Amino acid sequence: MSMKSGSDWALALLRTLPRVGLMNLPREPFRKHPRTGRGQHGGKLHGGPQKGSYQRMSYPRLGWEPRKVPWYVRVPMENYYKDHHLKRQYPPLSLGTLQLLIDTNRISTDEPIDLTAICNTKLHEVRPQERHYGFHLTVDGIDTFKAKVNIEVQWTSEAVIAAVEKNGGTITTSYYDLHSIYAAKDPIAWFRTGKPIPKRMIPPEDAIEFYTNPKMRGYLADPEKVAEERLVLAQKYGYELPKIEEDPQRDLLLKRKDPRQIFYGLEPGWVVNLRDKCILKPKDEALLQYYSN
Amino acid sequence: MLRQICTGRLSVSSACCSVILSLRGLSPNNVVSRSASTISTLVDSFTLKKKSEDIVPVVTEDVEVETGLARGPLPLITHRELNYLPFGRASRQAWMENLDTIEEQKLGLVDLHPDVFGTFPRIEIIQSNMQWQMLYKKVNWTFAPSRAELPGSQRKPWPQKGTGRARHGHRKAPQWHGGGKPHGPRGPKSYYYMLPFDKRLHGLCSMLSVKHAQDDLKIVDTLDIPTDDPKYMEDLVDKRKWGVSVLFVDDTDIAPKNLALATDSIGHMNIMPVYGLNVYSMLKHETLVLSLAALNKIEEKLVFHLNRHNPRPPTARKIHKGSFIS
Repeated sequence: MSMKSGSDWALALLRTLPRVGLMNLPREPFRKHPRTGRGQHGGKLHGGPQKGSYQRMSYPRLGWEPRKVPWYVRVPMENYYKDHHLKRQYPPLSLGTLQLLIDTNRISTDEPIDLTAICNTKLHEVRPQERHYGFHLTVDGIDTFKAKVNIEVQWTSEAVIAAVEKNGGTITTSYYDLHSIYAAKDPIAWFRTGKPIPKRMIPPEDAIEFYTNPKMRGYLADPEKVAEERLVLAQKYGYELPKIEEDPQRDLLLKRKDPRQIFYGLEPGWVVNLRDKCILKPKDEALLQYYSN
Repeated sequence: MLRQICTGRLSVSSACCSVILSLRGLSPNNVVSRSASTISTLVDSFTLKKKSEDIVPVVTEDVEVETGLARGPLPLITHRELNYLPFGRASRQAWMENLDTIEEQKLGLVDLHPDVFGTFPRIEIIQSNMQWQMLYKKVNWTFAPSRAELPGSQRKPWPQKGTGRARHGHRKAPQWHGGGKPHGPRGPKSYYYMLPFDKRLHGLCSMLSVKHAQDDLKIVDTLDIPTDDPKYMEDLVDKRKWGVSVLFVDDTDIAPKNLALATDSIGHMNIMPVYGLNVYSMLKHETLVLSLAALNKIEEKLVFHLNRHNPRPPTARKIHKGSFIS
């Protein structure tokens, strides 16, 4: 018979730690000398100097911490809004609003809809200075959504994906870093500055899972798994999945951006000259390598 | 003579095997003699075979030429009898490996005593052992003479009054340039002290447990290697990822000749007999390699001392710092 003893736990822990060697040994704790005196009644100074709280034994009460509110008086604090100013914000855009924009010809369904197209309506905007990382497509107005679109948003939910795909459209969630948002929200203003189009960065650690998730139609997900999940979602919500392969708008619906790309047709690193109406492309090897990675 | 036998054995072909076997009979105390029969008796003593069945395995000539060493059928060992097994604790286990090929071969499974190889890792006791080993041989030779020991005049340099100078009574007073040193180092001073016996015992057990827990304890059948080339040992240690420094421990004073020659020029591979095994060396070397015979001896001694009935032997007396030579 055997059971896991404390030694076994300790040795198992030691297995994961660096090798015990000459340079990483802790010292044996010192035995402290007794503070009390050695005479009758424990000495008259009580181990301290010849004055003060130790000799008079006027110790502070238990729990007393100098210059602090005692822990038993302190009001517990839950920092609900802790790091709130650092979190990614996604301003909402409802399906009903999207339908309204399409119906009022603010947005064309003949082109893929992305962040730039929505911002170009001048009715909705993202403010990267307020840490807006793009639009969140919400479910409001899901019952009246009829458009067939190829849309790229930054955050969404399962019901919205089902609504878009039921109408024969496609949806992608893709991540834009703040620097890319500055370029994408107003391309003309960006081109005027003369800066090259930035490359889109990969999502941060806590967003990787969302943007590689085929269920969320992440732009980094495997396309085969996305196709499979489209079918699964159609069966879950009980609609017949329109076949994109036989659709006359097939090319439009399957148009996707490169994970590093911000604008359709333009590559990162290019400089758009609005006055001369030309595009300047980098030739330097270092630049090409930077923008291709 | 032994050197000649070893090198001759390596160079001859299989046709001369009879000559080799006859040479082997001539040299009872060296590497060549520690072959199959020795191993089989060792193994038999742990697998609890009867002595009457002491069968020396027949060594074919092919095996002899191929590996340089012969051994019985695998696994050589799967079970060891452990004394004073504590209640409720299973034995710890380790693979038995070989040294005669660069590639690792597992020759068997060895049971290790949990009180020696699975005890609680008391790192602070290991540290006090290390500190003791560093201190007990240290002698502080620094010495500063006092004012009385300095050469020179003992006279008052000038009268007490009337000169207008500061009053002084001695040219070698501490405040003078070139004066004596009060309360200075009075060497030679020995730092010798004796760590309590229990701390030495538990230091060894903790250190062996730590080595085993961190996969730095390797157990081999023998320390015999087929060649005396240092490159062989370097390749072997590199291939098996034993780290840079390796400590080989055997039960005898006389190390196997090939191993001794191979590790002689390598500063970080050292050989040690069982009675020399100590905490500092185990800390210093990354990997500890024990032969099976050495393992038996170490475990036997430590288990004996852990379970002895007179817990305060004369060696357990604590010898304080400074009680030998002040």
